Amino acid sequence: MENLFTDLVFILLLLLTAVNLFRLWTERDLSKISQLILWLTLAAIVAVIVVRTAAAGRVPFANLYEFALLFSCGILVFALWVRQGLDSSRLDLSVAVLLLIIIAISTTLPSELGPLMPALQSTWLHAHVATAVIAYGCFALAACLGVVALSRSQQTAPGLDEIENRIYRMVVLGFIFLTIVIITGAVWAEEVWGNWWSWDPKETWSLVTWLIYAAYLHARRSYGWKGRKSAWMVIIGFVIVMFTLFGVSILLPGLHSYL
Amino acid sequence: MAKKPLQQITTTLASMSSAIYILVIIGAISALGTLIPQGQAPDFYMQHYGGLTGRIITVLSLHRLYQAWWFLAMLLLLCLSILLCAVKRLRRTRSVLIFSSLIMHLAIILVLGGAAWSLGYGHSANIELAEGQSVSLAEFGFAPGQLTLDRFQIDYYPDYQPRQYSSLLSLQGYQGQDYHQEIAVNHPLKAGYLKIYQSSWGWMMQITTQAADGQSKSIALPDRSEYWLDQSRHLKLQAIFVPDLDETRPGINSLSPLPRNPHVLIALVEHDRVIGMNLLRAGESAQLGEYKFSLDGFSYYSGLNVKEDRGVYLVFTGFFLLLAGMLVRYLAENMVRKAA
Repeated sequence: MENLFTDLVFILLLLLTAVNLFRLWTERDLSKISQLILWLTLAAIVAVIVVRTAAAGRVPFANLYEFALLFSCGILVFALWVRQGLDSSRLDLSVAVLLLIIIAISTTLPSELGPLMPALQSTWLHAHVATAVIAYGCFALAACLGVVALSRSQQTAPGLDEIENRIYRMVVLGFIFLTIVIITGAVWAEEVWGNWWSWDPKETWSLVTWLIYAAYLHARRSYGWKGRKSAWMVIIGFVIVMFTLFGVSILLPGLHSYL
Repeated sequence: MAKKPLQQITTTLASMSSAIYILVIIGAISALGTLIPQGQAPDFYMQHYGGLTGRIITVLSLHRLYQAWWFLAMLLLLCLSILLCAVKRLRRTRSVLIFSSLIMHLAIILVLGGAAWSLGYGHSANIELAEGQSVSLAEFGFAPGQLTLDRFQIDYYPDYQPRQYSSLLSLQGYQGQDYHQEIAVNHPLKAGYLKIYQSSWGWMMQITTQAADGQSKSIALPDRSEYWLDQSRHLKLQAIFVPDLDETRPGINSLSPLPRNPHVLIALVEHDRVIGMNLLRAGESAQLGEYKFSLDGFSYYSGLNVKEDRGVYLVFTGFFLLLAGMLVRYLAENMVRKAA
């Protein structure tokens, strides 16, 4: 059942990619169709999560595969929100490609339904993971908007200011939530290991992302960093987010070994 | 004239570009620390990275990067930069935006200050207690108090994956109070500033050794550890606990982690070579070489992490102020933007 819906997600994402590639060439308004596919993909991912929750008898917050599902779900919700009033095939296309990458990575991860290990049995788990989904979802959309900003040929193209504004708002929201992710993680680590910070690779890389986005916010405020520079910064920031999520787990195991 | 260089340094440090550089540099250094294995002996780096790189790593303390003086100096520089920026800002207009931003920046100093406090005054110890065993906390550098492990327990899921580890503890006479509480992973005991965490567990075996000259000794040996019988002859005893021995198959396999058919595999090792071994039940004994070993009994031991640290409360206060300041700061900005 779960596999059926996962396949459906994959097919819908390929369709979304195809439709938006087509939109780059055609004058026809296919924005509504793209939106419909986004909604359908969201429904399919929610179905995967619901089926999995029912089968495991617990929230799907236990491993990286499950986080990838929640992450994709978050990206879709933010995409549907951010694309409002912004008719952009490039945004939908970058969201589709990003989701394809995440789903492709998730298929290589162990997806067995396991029970929660003792360290994860805490109410902090819910706050920590839920805020991470929001923070990373925001950063993902900021990066997709960054791609849109870079792909506009002229700096003065209409709507670029609006895109820039949306990038900023996504980063601010993401930054606030990333702060909560790190704080809930630290308070939880103090409760479970007696150490609120231990320079574990996952912790450290989440701090690195926090510092990068902090640098972006300062640069923007003080030097009015906009346009291409800020677009590049949110894209680089998100590459580091992806590394923190997948790269660290695969290459640099530590305390977060289960995630 | 003497003041000028200092003034120049403070002006530079108070500038936004230095702040951004410091943020990015701390980020880059922190990332570097995850790529180099931390806390190994210097020889490890010489072997894995070659002479020159290994030497660079150890000379620059890249193997203990987060404790290195220059990394701590960078954090101090960040604090200075924040403070100088704060002073500079306070001279300008005062608004909710500035004030909340100030709180969130000073909160970061509070977090780092709390961490420094923990580093200087925090104290922790790992204590392994067998069921029924008791220790005095004063021996480990804490305030006086008698800590006893009354019972240790592991709950399993049906597939024998551990569900929870718990220790029933008694802490008596700690700062005039008695505590009797079950702790588990995620549920430490809190007695004032003292916290006791469930951190590990294992099996402990009570073994009596009798040498050829008739001398006998009673020892408590943790699972998979070794005991030196005679250092000069490189002779040691090793013991492995087998909780649920599968007697239907050859070899030594455990059917489950539960002590349903408990045995202990003891081995006499000379110069890292096994010269004799035997499988014992509780109450049984065996002759290996010149020694006679008797298994008197076995029990769980619980690994407890005992910690006293007030710095963590400064850190948590910092977290709260950071978040509160940040929320007010961006909500205020949002309202200003909407009004405009």
